[in-house]
Amino acid sequence: MSRTSSAMRQGRQILNGVSPHTRADTTPPAISVRRRVTWLHIPALVFMIIMTQVPFVLALWFSLHSWNLLQPAEGFVFVGLSNYINEFVVDPNFWPVIGHTAELIFGAIALALIAGTILALLLNRPIWGRNVLRGVATVPFLVTPSVMALVWKNLMLSPNFGIIDWALHSLGLPTIAWFSSIPLESITFIVAWEWTPFVMLVLLAGLQSIPNEVIEAATVDGANPFTTFWYIVFPMLRRAYEVALLFGTIFIFQTFGEIYLTTSGGPGFATNTLPYYTYQTAFNSWQIGQAAALGVIGVIIAILAARAMLHFTADHTPEERG
Amino acid sequence: MVSTRKWSQPLLSILTYVLVLVMIFPVIWMVITGFKQEADAYTAVPSLIFQPTLTQFQIALNGGFVAYLFNSVVASLVSTAIAMVLGIPAAYCMVFQMRKKGSNDMLFFVLSTRFMPFAAILVPLYVIVSRLNLLDNLFTLILVYTAMNLPLIIWMARSYFLDLPKEVLEGAWLDGCNTLRTIVNIVVPMAAPGLTAAALLAIIFAWNDFFFAVTLTYTQAPTLPIMVAVFSSNQDLFLAKVSALATAIIIVPIILGIYAQRHLVRGLTGGALK
Repeated sequence: MSRTSSAMRQGRQILNGVSPHTRADTTPPAISVRRRVTWLHIPALVFMIIMTQVPFVLALWFSLHSWNLLQPAEGFVFVGLSNYINEFVVDPNFWPVIGHTAELIFGAIALALIAGTILALLLNRPIWGRNVLRGVATVPFLVTPSVMALVWKNLMLSPNFGIIDWALHSLGLPTIAWFSSIPLESITFIVAWEWTPFVMLVLLAGLQSIPNEVIEAATVDGANPFTTFWYIVFPMLRRAYEVALLFGTIFIFQTFGEIYLTTSGGPGFATNTLPYYTYQTAFNSWQIGQAAALGVIGVIIAILAARAMLHFTADHTPEERG
Repeated sequence: MVSTRKWSQPLLSILTYVLVLVMIFPVIWMVITGFKQEADAYTAVPSLIFQPTLTQFQIALNGGFVAYLFNSVVASLVSTAIAMVLGIPAAYCMVFQMRKKGSNDMLFFVLSTRFMPFAAILVPLYVIVSRLNLLDNLFTLILVYTAMNLPLIIWMARSYFLDLPKEVLEGAWLDGCNTLRTIVNIVVPMAAPGLTAAALLAIIFAWNDFFFAVTLTYTQAPTLPIMVAVFSSNQDLFLAKVSALATAIIIVPIILGIYAQRHLVRGLTGGALK
């Protein structure tokens, strides 16, 4: 195993060498001469503050008020934290909605990680037309999600005209009323399909930085493909997996069009996730204060999740906390 | 070991082709359906042999496609252009002018605005926009997409600027180039491939957006994804029509995305991976 371990050490050095963070830290000293004009970031900063921070502060403000646009007579009444208390304690939908959100995010990212790993490993091999195949495999990620959700619903998973149900039927298997019997699972599946290429691309980027010698050395030492993957490739892809998990989770949390166009959050509340529930509270029942509170809860969850994941990552790469 | 490799390699290659085909099968099936008559699209047994027709594309075109297309094109192009104008100087400043701590703080702020759930700012944004009488206005969509894509442009531009050879820039400064000229004449041309990819990704994100389009500009300034939603709810038989329309819409992100493919990972992960 000595050849393997020395090659791995070499590989790790190469991995560290290309890390953008170490590069960012080594700003050449000559550049300090030009540190006079530092207002060029101000327009972008101001724009972002106006478009994201100001609305967020307003959301905090609204969330402390009772404000229903359908009952303008009631006006804009300060109610303290009761919108939040209402969600956590009174609203029977809130905790199920949180559960659906978690199921969608973790289900979709888990599926995407598995499928993305398989695709990345297969497309990392020398194969005829590899670049074209990679491009083609990226397509599910590029296509308009809301449009593809409709295609999935009507062309693929429709119990009457869907090609998947036809295939199931032809094989003598029972067809499934996807969006009425397992709505959340169906949406999770569609979202996983969209995000698989993302995981694949991130892992391919990671695989490219593993030197071939490492794999060869392992093979010479008699490791079979599975041990090679589990003990050598997987640990070296750790950072790529962390990135895929962090970004995948955060972006999948935003899932909206897929729900809107397939189930509209139903049946009942079965496919209401936190962002969709926020939307419904605002634009179906017009409870602006309540919706603002839900939005704030969403931000807090996103921050906590990102922090937890960054913390988890930072244990192994402390220099990146910056 | 060597003998198992011999038979397993072609098998793995075949598996690769099959899996990639399975992955994009929904897209292929949609494109095929777009060339069918509605009657051929609604068969119990999926039909592969049919008389191809462009009727569905004509129906989509006559269904106001050009107006939706105009909104989509203007919203994505103008927002990307503004994001580039705001983002490139900011990234330049972060890489070449700011101190390390300030630069890192700025990067963290940029990342955090992109990670903020859109739903959280939707409610106040809607209230502001309706108070300003900008609801259902293309201008609103442009501003929102600019805000959505500015972080992407900044972090991508930043990661490409970090790769630039410092000697050239120092030469420009010694020659007395001012900041604007350095950016326009030296930095932008040198980082052009990366910046192009950043712009293409921003266009894709704006083009593909459904959330803001459906909530802020649904009636008066709808974009193409809205048209698909309307098409699929209004018509009796809509499979082929919607497929044709969807095909016309997804061509744009597919072409732009494959063109920018090498840069996708860097763009989506804030330069955390290349």
